[in-house]
Amino acid sequence: MIQTIAFYLFAIMVVLSAGLVITARNPVHSVLWLILAFFNAAGLMLLVGAEFIAMLLVIVYVGAVAVLFLFVVMMLDIDFSELRGGFVRYLPFGVAVALVLLCEIVIAGGAWEAGPVELAGRTALAPDPAAIPNIQALGTLLYTRYLFVFEGAGLVLLVAMIGAIVLTHRARGGVRQQNVRRQNIRRPQDATRNTNPPVGQGVEL
Amino acid sequence: MISWFTALPYGWAYFIASILDILVIALPVMLAVAMIIYADRKIWAAMALRRGPNVVGPFGLLQSFADGLKVFLQETIIPTAANRTLFLIAPVITFTVALIAWAVIPFSSFSVLANINVGLLYILAASSLGVYGVILAGWASNSKYPFYSAIRAAAQMVSYEVAIGFVLISVVLWAGSFNMQTIVLAQKGEVLGLINANGFNPLLFPMAVVFLISSMAETSRTPFDLTEAESELVAGYQTEYSSMSFALYWLGEYANVILMCALNATLFWGGWLPPLDLPFLYHIPGTTIGLGLFWILFKMAVFFFIFSWVKATLPRYRYDQLMRLGWKIFLPLSLLFVFLVSGWLMLTRFHPIGA
Amino acid sequence: MIGLQHYLTVSAILFVMGVLGIFINRKNVIIILMSIELILLGVNLNLVAFSAYLHDLVGQIFAMFVLTVAAGEAAIGLAILVIYFRGRGTIAVDDANRMKG
Repeated sequence: MIQTIAFYLFAIMVVLSAGLVITARNPVHSVLWLILAFFNAAGLMLLVGAEFIAMLLVIVYVGAVAVLFLFVVMMLDIDFSELRGGFVRYLPFGVAVALVLLCEIVIAGGAWEAGPVELAGRTALAPDPAAIPNIQALGTLLYTRYLFVFEGAGLVLLVAMIGAIVLTHRARGGVRQQNVRRQNIRRPQDATRNTNPPVGQGVEL
Repeated sequence: MISWFTALPYGWAYFIASILDILVIALPVMLAVAMIIYADRKIWAAMALRRGPNVVGPFGLLQSFADGLKVFLQETIIPTAANRTLFLIAPVITFTVALIAWAVIPFSSFSVLANINVGLLYILAASSLGVYGVILAGWASNSKYPFYSAIRAAAQMVSYEVAIGFVLISVVLWAGSFNMQTIVLAQKGEVLGLINANGFNPLLFPMAVVFLISSMAETSRTPFDLTEAESELVAGYQTEYSSMSFALYWLGEYANVILMCALNATLFWGGWLPPLDLPFLYHIPGTTIGLGLFWILFKMAVFFFIFSWVKATLPRYRYDQLMRLGWKIFLPLSLLFVFLVSGWLMLTRFHPIGA
Repeated sequence: MIGLQHYLTVSAILFVMGVLGIFINRKNVIIILMSIELILLGVNLNLVAFSAYLHDLVGQIFAMFVLTVAAGEAAIGLAILVIYFRGRGTIAVDDANRMKG
């Protein structure tokens, strides 16, 4: 009962916020709806016991990717009203494509329903979650059979990181750099001195 | 009352019990926040040779409640240029996020609200949400200085989260679990079979230090309070806030500080375990009344004193120094120690899967 | 009782909404990137739902890889967006028709 309520709550919220992501007028609102969508999707995943993926979704998407989006949307001075043009023009075409896609998905789902599921073809049987936690079972699989794919994923992230830095980095001339080592070894007596100047003469600099 | 409860279906009874549990944790946390603000001001005052709050109630103990009453009675001002909805939602986010992470903190051998297997990941997820309250406040205020402050805060929190993530990984590797209760129990007799603390383990001690400093940066406490550097940014991201919305930021900030104290205590200094693995320290002698709650509160108090001490003594960092510390010192250091810890575990505890 | 069909429905709706988002916001690259994230979220939900109902962990492993690629894609996409904006002063996709930077 509680699961059912929770499912419908999360499902309705995720669909609603997905709809608002693509229709919101202000891109900042779009990003915030996207965050809500991810959050509720994580809830849906929790309901079927995929706790690791759910937490990962929140950490990676909400904690990192969405912050990135938010930064870009807030920092770039973009005239978004101009970009809204064509919303109505493209709407019929977009809806048509979406409907065709939806029909295809439904048909595919129906076809899958009709055919038997080959349960014997399962390659990595999930262990009983009470005995071995989801995260441990995933780790066992990830570090044995999918080790090379996992390392490949790490490589993808590395390339993405280097790519992003190389793309956006620009060397600005005329900027004075901090030399932290020199700042740290500098002591008061290197920079200041006590003097006792006679009246009317001042200090020689 | 009880018969009504036992007549409920299991799911609903569990639901209601959970809500009661949440109240049992959240209300004392709120009270603790009020008292800790008082403690912070007292410690700070003592270090500056002042008296601190001493008028409202005995020793000024009721000062926080008086302050709370004051902001509660004030008018909520919403700037006309602000984005109204987001402006009001932002403090709620900060406050909520500061409270939800408490769900997985174990207070004694049996009292933890959600004893989930991914407890530490949950904490990471919750702390990564903290950015939004700040960044939304800065943006929704539609004011220059709050926005600068929000950008600073977001960059700072994201940077230090990386180091915190690696620190947590080394703890998880050592304990072999993401479950908070298991992490606490794994520290039993950690050093020489006597001391219950990861922190005295030479492989984890540097991580404990990195975590302590990072948790100060994560909660924007001095010396990392660049987000509210009053000489540069008026009052930081909460400049435009007043009344209850301001109070929510205040409460959320301190709830985060206590949470970080609890995390420091739990991950590195034995959590609810007594400092030494001696039988008479676990229970009040002659009874079965556990001392778990006492020990974790004691450790949290010690950590809060350290937080306060640092706030009273250290000057504020420059922003480039802050970023340098996070990315060029803590990140490589924590990475190195993840490497060392996993290497050590490979040497001593490694056993092939299935063997 | 919540079955596999419920999850598939939600993920199908998410997927279609992502595609729709790309079409109706044709000028705004940021929304298009977000729509791609929505599509990948739908895919992830699908993978996780199947993984749970077939008791096969491979689905969750692949959801993790999808997550990795999506994070990389968002980072690179936004980086390209930023340098594009720097060069042109706009992020409208229609203007991206010149070979010269």
